Amino acid sequence: MSDAAMLNWVLFLPLLGAAGLLVLRGNGAAVRIATVAVMTVQFLLAAVLYVHFDATVEGLQFATSVPWIGEWGVSYAIGMDGLNVLLVLLTAFLGPLVVLGAWHSIERDVTLFHVMVLLLQFAMMGAFLAQDLFLFYVFWEAMLIPMFLIIGIWGGARRSYATVKFVLYTAFGSILMLAAVIYLVQALRNAGGVTSFAFTDLMQARLPLDVQSVLLAAFALSFAIKVPMVPLHTWLPDAHVEAPTPGSVILAGVLLKMGTYGFIKLGFPLFPDATRAFTPVLMTLSVVSIVYGACLALVQTDIKKIIAYSSISHLGYVMLGLLSLDLAGIQGAIVQMVSHGLVAAGLFLLVGMVYERCHTRELAAYGGLARQMPVYAVFFVIFTLASVGLPTTSGFTGEFMVLLGAFNAAWPQHLDGTSLPLVLAVTAVSGVILGALYMLRFALTFLFGPARAPHQPLTDLSLRERSILAILVVSIFALGLFPDGALRKTELAARAFQVRLTTSQAGTAQAGAMQAGTAVDAHAN
Amino acid sequence: MPTNDALMGMLPEHLLLGGIVAGIVTVLLRRGRTLALPVSILAVLASAGAAFWLGMNGTTAEPFPGQFAVTPPVLMAKGMLLLLAVPVLLMSRTEFEEGEFSILLLSSLYGLSLLPSATSALVLFLGLELMSIPVYALIVLAFRRPQSAESALKYLVLSGAASAMFLMGISLLYGSSGSMSAGTFAQALSATDALSRTAVVLVIVALFLKGAVVPFHAWAPDTYEGASIPVTAYMATLSKAGVLIVAWRLCDGAELSGPLVSIVAVLPLISIVWGNITAIRQQSLRRMIAYSSIAHAGYLFYALLGPSAGRLESITFYLVVYAASNLLAFAMVPNTGTDEERDRLDRLNGLFHRDPLAASLIAVAMLSLAGLPPLPGFTAKFLIFQTVVAAGYSAYAVLGLVGSFLGLYFYLRVIQRMFMNTGEGVRTTGTGEALARTAGVLCLLAMAALTIVPGWALARL
Repeated sequence: MSDAAMLNWVLFLPLLGAAGLLVLRGNGAAVRIATVAVMTVQFLLAAVLYVHFDATVEGLQFATSVPWIGEWGVSYAIGMDGLNVLLVLLTAFLGPLVVLGAWHSIERDVTLFHVMVLLLQFAMMGAFLAQDLFLFYVFWEAMLIPMFLIIGIWGGARRSYATVKFVLYTAFGSILMLAAVIYLVQALRNAGGVTSFAFTDLMQARLPLDVQSVLLAAFALSFAIKVPMVPLHTWLPDAHVEAPTPGSVILAGVLLKMGTYGFIKLGFPLFPDATRAFTPVLMTLSVVSIVYGACLALVQTDIKKIIAYSSISHLGYVMLGLLSLDLAGIQGAIVQMVSHGLVAAGLFLLVGMVYERCHTRELAAYGGLARQMPVYAVFFVIFTLASVGLPTTSGFTGEFMVLLGAFNAAWPQHLDGTSLPLVLAVTAVSGVILGALYMLRFALTFLFGPARAPHQPLTDLSLRERSILAILVVSIFALGLFPDGALRKTELAARAFQVRLTTSQAGTAQAGAMQAGTAVDAHAN
Repeated sequence: MPTNDALMGMLPEHLLLGGIVAGIVTVLLRRGRTLALPVSILAVLASAGAAFWLGMNGTTAEPFPGQFAVTPPVLMAKGMLLLLAVPVLLMSRTEFEEGEFSILLLSSLYGLSLLPSATSALVLFLGLELMSIPVYALIVLAFRRPQSAESALKYLVLSGAASAMFLMGISLLYGSSGSMSAGTFAQALSATDALSRTAVVLVIVALFLKGAVVPFHAWAPDTYEGASIPVTAYMATLSKAGVLIVAWRLCDGAELSGPLVSIVAVLPLISIVWGNITAIRQQSLRRMIAYSSIAHAGYLFYALLGPSAGRLESITFYLVVYAASNLLAFAMVPNTGTDEERDRLDRLNGLFHRDPLAASLIAVAMLSLAGLPPLPGFTAKFLIFQTVVAAGYSAYAVLGLVGSFLGLYFYLRVIQRMFMNTGEGVRTTGTGEALARTAGVLCLLAMAALTIVPGWALARL
């Protein structure tokens, strides 16, 4: 099998799996085993591709491009590059773990649930792999439907409210992005006569700054809701709290990366001039997300909400790293995405495991778990420390590089007279301290505080639960101790991103761009 | 082949006519009443097949010069619309066991099939009337509820008013230009004299009335609610398609400009917003679909803003997708209880646990109507908004898209009812249930084809 064919299999396996589940209609155990098998094969293929991915080649690898709707210039184009290579591996890696983690927590409508998980996996993989804007948008929106059903059917008491809020928030952003997509393609067509949705063609569009700004605003709104960035974050805690454990794991593990991936792959490179103009605003919002998310995590009484708000804070670092436009910062942001995916997935699994035993999410109801569940406590401490960014864990690599990038970017500008970047970088560091504060407070009360409610004797983790967590722990340390391999795979892409954003686009072809912009509005009056 | 023009160019219509005659004969023969449905389905299939066959062969003919002309894209569009009548006929067995339904529906279809090829305002008028008149009878045919009569009367009066306005408009044009050709209207679109302006506005208002565009929409929810499910399905899909085809025919070759733009953009925009907002409050399935169809009329009329070149393409694609989605939903509505009970939205509560197939297919239909990718409703909407942007009306496109976002909520509510609420009720299999389900599956297959290879359909329009 050629590598390109293998990549197509990585994308379509979950879809075929979902179709298979519908046709075969097995019992609960058969459905679970089949789903894990499909996901495992997908992961193995993705792992082979990761190994085959040549770090010394810039641009797409294993690419496939077939015209889909020829007349409109829409094509089925997928491929791997330095920006998505780690995220594809992360998505494929978490897939089987999510299903294994849901072994006992999902008991109603088992087939429907696994079909939805497989469809979600298909859509997420497609969004990462897509190299055509139409295709990307289709996958981007297609993620909504299975997630809507996963939270809505298997969720908690206020699931109806949470799902509608989740869908309406994300769909509103997407609608404006759709308008921007249509406008962008039309502007490209008016300027050069090319009708294409391919990323590479769209990157050629040289738009004037004001048009770029409007389009970036539309894209950024959609992506920032998904990240989520303060003040567009309010759907996330609700969605997390009401989602069943596997839903939370997918949400935190992969879905939240969609927003930051959208920025790095599309939002910023498509509109580099506007991005530079908006950097102070976007950077400020990122730092606000870091600090505000951490502060809110500090005062939560619901254990799922603590992790939800900590996600907001951690994804703030990703945004900060991307916006620093410093190579270390950009690469740190990519590592931080993967690291947060692993750590948050682990924390939500841990919370789910204890919820299955005690059926409450109130922090006040817990205490002294370490005595009853020592193995659980060990895992919990490891994930807590990884979340805080203890050296040797992946969290450290990501946060450290992001902060390094932020300071690198801030320093010369500080000498020029503006102190905003430096203030932001320093404030971002305080997020690390706040992070340590809320996570350690959480772990202390949870594991070592005085035992509160008279729980029945709790059984410690089963072999299945231990294995899932152990695999995650190994990957967290692997990324923390040997980040070099992963960093090398992303280096060229991160450099290209940096170059793209630091060289002016509109400046060189202002005149041509003006024509492109005005032609679209020609009939408006 | 000029000698065969009249025969070949109108082959789809002739086959429909043959179907009507055969249907009447089978109904007259008392023992053959149940044959009317298969005969009608065969006639529709043959007629659509003929349209596709002629279209694929690249037939261009003018059986009645100046009145009726066919070209391949027109024939393909005609074939697709005719095919959509098959699910309507299949689901009719749940309500109508006698053959009258099929004959009336075929008569209405005959009118519909004239519309895409009509090149004179007179044939357009005739086609529109032929399409509407059988529907008055269809609404009262079931006559199970007092509302049916009221509903038919409302439709009769308002549709009559629309026809009068349409006739007034085209007669003004005839008076000033001496020509009945559809092209006269296209010219009048850019004319600035008072007579042409009046004529154009009259015709557009008539079309808005028939198509249920705000503020001329008030009849639609009442009429839809009073009719039985197959009739509502027909009115919401195919008879709406007829109106849009007339609009396309009249504006063909002309670009809208000047003050007309604000009429053709603003009223549909209000329609989108108002239809979507009001649909949220409905407790009746048919009223909800009525308000949804008011919003969809808005998107469809939006297509007229775009350049003339891609109009038939985007309108037909949208109509086919929209009709297939709607018919899918109607075909899968569980056939339990009385007609009135079937109509209540809360009957859908917990449907997934009683009937997973029906609930899943209704969910697919709702998501497609909401325009969420990857379902074809998205592609259709995309095509329309793309032409609007291409014509330079970016602001209207953005507003329309935001308006379409408002619709998301009530479509999702239906899915929530079916999958997330609990409700009681048992699954029963009534008359024609299997046929209705076949109709649903056919619609689903059409939608799947339009999702995977939309380019195939578009390239042939």
